[in-house]
Amino acid sequence: MIEVEHIEKTYRRGDGTPVTALSDVSFRIAQGEFVTVRGASGSGKSSLLNILGCLDTPTSGTYRLSGEDVSNYSDKERSHLRCRRIGFVFQSFNLLPRTTAVENIEVPALYSGEALDRDKALSLLQRVGLANRSDHFISELSGGEQQRVAIARALMNDPPLLLADEPTGNLDSASGESIMELLSDLNKEGRTIVMVTHDQAIAAYAQREFYIRDGVIASDGRPPERAALSG
Amino acid sequence: MEWYRTISLALRTLLRNPLRSFLMMLGVTVGIAALTTMASVGEATKQETMRRFKRMVGTYDIVNIAPGAARTRGMPSLTTVEPTLKFDDATAIAAEARTITQIAEVQNAFDIDVKHRDNTTASAIYGISANWLEMHGYFIDAGTPISDDDVASLARVAVIGIDVQTALFPNQDPMGQQMRIANVPFQVKGVLVSRGAGPGGGSLDNIVFIPVTTASKRLFNRDYLTTINAKLKDPDRPEAAIEEISAILRQRHGIVPPGEDDFTVTNPRATAEQVTQVRSTLSTVLTGVAVIATLIGGLGIMSLMLIAVSERRREIGVRRAVGATRRDVMLQFLIEAATISVMGGLAGVALGVAGATIAAIQQDLPPILLWSTIGGSVVLSVCIGLVFGLQPAWKAANLDPIEALRN
Repeated sequence: MIEVEHIEKTYRRGDGTPVTALSDVSFRIAQGEFVTVRGASGSGKSSLLNILGCLDTPTSGTYRLSGEDVSNYSDKERSHLRCRRIGFVFQSFNLLPRTTAVENIEVPALYSGEALDRDKALSLLQRVGLANRSDHFISELSGGEQQRVAIARALMNDPPLLLADEPTGNLDSASGESIMELLSDLNKEGRTIVMVTHDQAIAAYAQREFYIRDGVIASDGRPPERAALSG
Repeated sequence: MEWYRTISLALRTLLRNPLRSFLMMLGVTVGIAALTTMASVGEATKQETMRRFKRMVGTYDIVNIAPGAARTRGMPSLTTVEPTLKFDDATAIAAEARTITQIAEVQNAFDIDVKHRDNTTASAIYGISANWLEMHGYFIDAGTPISDDDVASLARVAVIGIDVQTALFPNQDPMGQQMRIANVPFQVKGVLVSRGAGPGGGSLDNIVFIPVTTASKRLFNRDYLTTINAKLKDPDRPEAAIEEISAILRQRHGIVPPGEDDFTVTNPRATAEQVTQVRSTLSTVLTGVAVIATLIGGLGIMSLMLIAVSERRREIGVRRAVGATRRDVMLQFLIEAATISVMGGLAGVALGVAGATIAAIQQDLPPILLWSTIGGSVVLSVCIGLVFGLQPAWKAANLDPIEALRN
């Protein structure tokens, strides 16, 4: 699913001095895996997620998505990839204000070139447990419900890969847990999920965990057991 | 993204923020309203002037031959013209010109004293051939028109306009009554149907028609004409007649180009159009102001769109993340700007038409709806939206999605 080889990402500061966000990162993620990327802020995990999400390109190294080398894709090509193959879930939900739940879910379909399918959006809403909320405006929904709408939006174009950036970061623990249950279910249905977090408790939902420190993967292994954490 | 979706998205976005949308529209609305009003009132004035001009000349299906080179402006009259156009010229044109069906002769003068007992007025006196009235669409209200016999016998008979009747024969039947034109006695044989106001607003009914021969020999004592009217065989081709008649007259008068003609041949429709096309300085200035107002409206759209782009960074980031290309985002904002501009333009057209109608009613003009102006306004407002939306749309499209999504 994902093959990353010797990726480097260097930014330039305002004064021109280079800052290395990722250096020589390599890994593979198989289809159907649920991986968390953990690390302190500034460790490079967001840079990694941006590259995996095709929002950004690596300075050097290759990134293959489903066998396709996308490292040097143009902005337009990456837009099409994001549209069809990648679903995003954000910490702050990033739903369109003054817009209904179902309209938010339909947004990715606007750019897929296919006819708008209201029934599909409604069935996704049902899938995330909000069947009766379709015509509610975003401001009328709780945080947990908003994140469910955001997940439904990520699923609209049926992408094989879901990228989640601190999906529970703005939620209380009960809502956070139910969101994680939902992501686990989606993973069990076969979707590959990469999730960035700094929270050990939710990292435990994954089967595999990268720990990033100073732009390198410091460890790659099983996350700590949930039971051990709660106990 | 497809067009109809982009437009419906733009409409929904604009409806979500009605106050801002209203403010964005306002400038364009005011500008387009002013432009529409100006254009409509201008066109109504022009059409009314054309109508009055037609009422004065009676018909556009003629050419008028006047003595003198084309320098002199205004209505020819015996007191102002050169004595170069003779009765023989008229006869020759009638005989030789193939592009015309008939000619009428005129010897006229303005501001001549006419009297009946103690009543006096000053009128235009038209000495005419018998076919003149019919050729120009002048109708007799009572009595009979000037006849060929009147012309042949140099009869001292007159057909008078309604203003002359009112001035000389108040509360009397003028028919058969004596009147004096510059102290020569004439008998009233007919009264004309009223023709109302001319292009300058003056009355067209202060007029007396007499036989052209009588005018020449018994009244003005001149052997030259002020105008020859020639009726066109093909009303749509006055130029051919103008050419042919000019050639005949040049030959008769011994004029060899580049020598200057001592006559002028004109088509009244062309003259009318020329006169009405002269725009006043004021209306040019006002139109300029309206155009500037419309452009300022465009600037208003631009600045509010720029603010909207900053406020909607998140939305732009999300759209980019879920697959919108730069082009999609660019189009979305451009279409939004164009849509709001067109809505403003349509509101402006509505206001402008209302304004023009009110102006028309006040100035007693025919209210008219100019589809060309309406179409032009819509096109102009689309262009304003696209041009002034370009920079904000460019800014939106080139936002880095990562930056745009950052908290």
